[in-house]
Amino acid sequence: MRRSSSARRTGRNPASTILVTGILTVVAVYFLVPVYWVVIAATKTTEDLFATHGFLLGPSVHLWENLTQALTYDGGILVRWFANSMLYAGVGGLLATYFAAAGGYALAKYSFRGREAIFGLVLGGVLVPATATALPLFLLFSTLGIANTYWSVLIPSLVSPFGFFLCRIYADATVSDSLVEAARIDGAGELRIFHTVGLRAMVPALVTVFLFQLVGIWNNYFLPLTMLADESLYPVTLGLANWNAQVDRLPEFYELTTGGVLLSIVPLMVAMVVLQRFWRGGLTAGAVKG
Amino acid sequence: MRSRAAKEHGVQWSRRTALQAGLGLGAGALVGACGSGRAADPDGSVHLTYWSWLKDLQLVCDVWNAQRPDVQVEAVWIQPGPDGGYQKMFSALATGGGPDLAQVELRQTPAFLLVDGLVDTRRYGADAVLDRYEQAILGQVTFNDAVYALPQDWGPTAWFYRTDLLEEIGAEPPQTWPEWAELAREFRATDRYLDIFNPSDGSYFAALAMQAGATWFAIDDDTWVVSIDDDATLETADFFDRAVREDLVSTSLAPFSPGWFAAANEGRLGACMSASWADALIEGAAGTAGLWQVAPMPRWDGGYGSAQLGGSTTAVFSTSPHPAEATEFAIWMTTAPEAIDAQIEHSGIGWSPVPDHIGTPREQPSEFFGGQRYNEEVFVPAAEQQHPDWTWAPTTQQVFNELSDGFVRAVSGGSSLVEACRRTQTAAVEMLTDKGLNARAA
Amino acid sequence: MATTEGDAAAPQRRAAWILLAPFLVLFLGTFVAPIGYAIYQSFIRVERAGLFGEEGTTSSFAGLRNYAEAFANNEFVGSIGQMFLFGVVQVPVMIAAATVLALLLESASARWPAAFRAAYFMPYGVPGVIASVLWSFLYVPGLSPIIDVAALVGIDIDFLGPSMVLWSIANIVTWTYTGYNMLIIVAQLKAIPAEIYEAARVDGAGPLRVAGSVQLPLIRPALLLTIVFSIIGTLQIFAEPQILQQVSTAVGNEYTPNMAAFDAAFNYNDYNLAAAEAVIIALTAFALSFVFLRLTNRGQR
Repeated sequence: MRRSSSARRTGRNPASTILVTGILTVVAVYFLVPVYWVVIAATKTTEDLFATHGFLLGPSVHLWENLTQALTYDGGILVRWFANSMLYAGVGGLLATYFAAAGGYALAKYSFRGREAIFGLVLGGVLVPATATALPLFLLFSTLGIANTYWSVLIPSLVSPFGFFLCRIYADATVSDSLVEAARIDGAGELRIFHTVGLRAMVPALVTVFLFQLVGIWNNYFLPLTMLADESLYPVTLGLANWNAQVDRLPEFYELTTGGVLLSIVPLMVAMVVLQRFWRGGLTAGAVKG
Repeated sequence: MRSRAAKEHGVQWSRRTALQAGLGLGAGALVGACGSGRAADPDGSVHLTYWSWLKDLQLVCDVWNAQRPDVQVEAVWIQPGPDGGYQKMFSALATGGGPDLAQVELRQTPAFLLVDGLVDTRRYGADAVLDRYEQAILGQVTFNDAVYALPQDWGPTAWFYRTDLLEEIGAEPPQTWPEWAELAREFRATDRYLDIFNPSDGSYFAALAMQAGATWFAIDDDTWVVSIDDDATLETADFFDRAVREDLVSTSLAPFSPGWFAAANEGRLGACMSASWADALIEGAAGTAGLWQVAPMPRWDGGYGSAQLGGSTTAVFSTSPHPAEATEFAIWMTTAPEAIDAQIEHSGIGWSPVPDHIGTPREQPSEFFGGQRYNEEVFVPAAEQQHPDWTWAPTTQQVFNELSDGFVRAVSGGSSLVEACRRTQTAAVEMLTDKGLNARAA
Repeated sequence: MATTEGDAAAPQRRAAWILLAPFLVLFLGTFVAPIGYAIYQSFIRVERAGLFGEEGTTSSFAGLRNYAEAFANNEFVGSIGQMFLFGVVQVPVMIAAATVLALLLESASARWPAAFRAAYFMPYGVPGVIASVLWSFLYVPGLSPIIDVAALVGIDIDFLGPSMVLWSIANIVTWTYTGYNMLIIVAQLKAIPAEIYEAARVDGAGPLRVAGSVQLPLIRPALLLTIVFSIIGTLQIFAEPQILQQVSTAVGNEYTPNMAAFDAAFNYNDYNLAAAEAVIIALTAFALSFVFLRLTNRGQR
């Protein structure tokens, strides 16, 4: 991996530093405003939410009550929704990465008839909007009887055409042929070589694909909305949207929604901040070459 | 652009009024809906789920649950039908699942029949109670001699008005629509509006046309006969075209929106043509307590004394594994006096579906309405003066959207309401044939 | 590059297919099959005998009738036009912002770049739905501190009115994805070898010149990637308007093409029309991306 480029060394003066940092700060405020707002909002009761200014704390802090209420409402369904999201995104992401890695490696390291055709087909899949496949998939699953089950969201989550694409490119670039040959000479089977030599070399790409798929599945709204009618199967995105739909009728849903939103985004944000370097890593190494 | 259809009872709660209304209920709501689940209990009792957007419906179901340990009903809140609730229901039906019971608006029942989603309640004992329902409403859920849903509430229309504002000009509630137009002119002279005309909700215009005697949909054997351009409709449209052009009505306020409440509180609105359930909403204009009363609707030359706005049914889904028990519960929900009273008290439903029990809470005089016993004086007679042959089509929602799109265009100066009705007529026939049904213009 | 001249030996080919199989089967099942099914469904219509089809329903070949119906529907066509307008404005603005931020962060004059990077990337972790719920609170008069603050300086904003709501949605999308796109560009920037910067400095180029002549051309692949994905993303917009529909009367049920297809399927039970609309959306996304890539590839040759 290359060290960071030395654009920094091309000139630096206090005036431009202040200007640039100033701009960056204003932009940062824009990105952080909603987060700041929800932290404040989650400390307020519904009354205070309307009565007090949105950017300032109210007369009393109800953060603990709101969060507890959000976690225990309806038998703790928010926790259930979190668990569902983790199932769909975690298990789905892991398996999707594994399958994409296997497929990408196969395409990179072996030459056989139909190889480029398959690559082109999958590439086409990258360009197709996922929502265009969700509706017909719903009809297909309904006929098979698995709509409105965990499988209906899990199965589509196991496929990552973009991951396949990334893994092929990465495997091409980093899995050294000589290592593979050496392992063959040593008598290792092809599958064994994939799991020991291939996967190990592809780790940065695997992490990128996993994170990409994880975030993609976690954020997906259209697919579970189409597939699921049973509230206990909802991921947290669908569940919170449901709570938000009730604020007009029952005022305590304001507290539930702000509390629930806060609980759902804090871990995600922390994860993003911590994991952002993996994004850079995987993407630099070959994926974005022309 | 399709506007948001009115929620149940045409509610467009402003957040503040919801706040005032809801805070009084406190923790009661938290007892409400739990997650769904449909298995029969291990002890052999039947467990039914009931999808509805009525408030606190579980409290009503609990009245039943206490008496019937063998059939337990669980209410699950979903979004109001036009706001996503029907999508959920259709989606669930498509998977072969879904609840046992659901709240389906009167005007939406034919759409559910298109997907064979509802059970004929006559197969499970509804015959015994059919003659108790308001017959005009029952007709809207009866097709081919089968009754596919049981009416749960509806909304006979009348004319809510500000006694103080009418007194100021020395006027009486108008008996005919031309008299109404005169009154509206006098109001405009004092820089107020008598009432609004909301172009984005087709159901209000449908009620006006219904009162004038229009029959938009009729059934001829297996063919739908569409006449949204019949004489009664076009005359009504023309009347309101002139009202809008003369600026006799406000077209920018949606009923019971924050802007509407502001106008009402400030005395800039003289009246409100709406259904019986609007009483609860008008009471949200807290500053005007004691200043309202209810009068019968102004009449057209022919037609009927009143019309209807909104209304729901309790429907049993065809995918339910317990249609008999579900129908039994639905019959109780819609005919038992205790059920009706409970729904009025907890869920704020509209007019009772059985004329012989309007609901104990509704037999009292109302302070907000100047001590008038308006339910008995105005709405009971209004309920009896209904169009007896009104039918909805499987594409009602689509037709309303088309109509309101045209109305919005008309009101912003592009064309006229009459033109919109004509266009909707053509489109409506097409919508039905697009669905593979037989349809023709009248 | 693959090693062998000619095809691999038989046991290796077998291994290749075994490795490929799970992905391929799932891909065929969850991409190819549904699209195929949608295409099939889009050429069918349902005939109903009786008032509601209670006397039998038959499926028959419909030719292009569903497609004609889709294009005759003003709302659907309007929604596609709306997304074009949206895309033509929002995508360049977002990518330009992402590029500028990337360049600023990577420039010599930036302090605490890691902290800023983290702040900008963080919204990507917020699902679009949740972001919409958050921003919907910030758009509603009576709840929104932004409207309050603007009112203090005499500006009256209506985020949810018919003329503004499209851009309010654009704001949510921009807020969520700018940081992510920026990171892709930053990654590409970091791949620029130090020698090039040295050469530029020797030539006397200032930071702006370096940005224009050196950095921008070299981050082209990243820009292409982000733009193509943004185009595809624009055609798929669903969650943001659906959430805002609850607070704004300006957002109808068919505001975006995806909402229209969803509406046709689940509100009107017209799965055939919905299938036709889904195919139209997929083809449009495919065509736009293809054309875009072609145009930019040609420039590169």
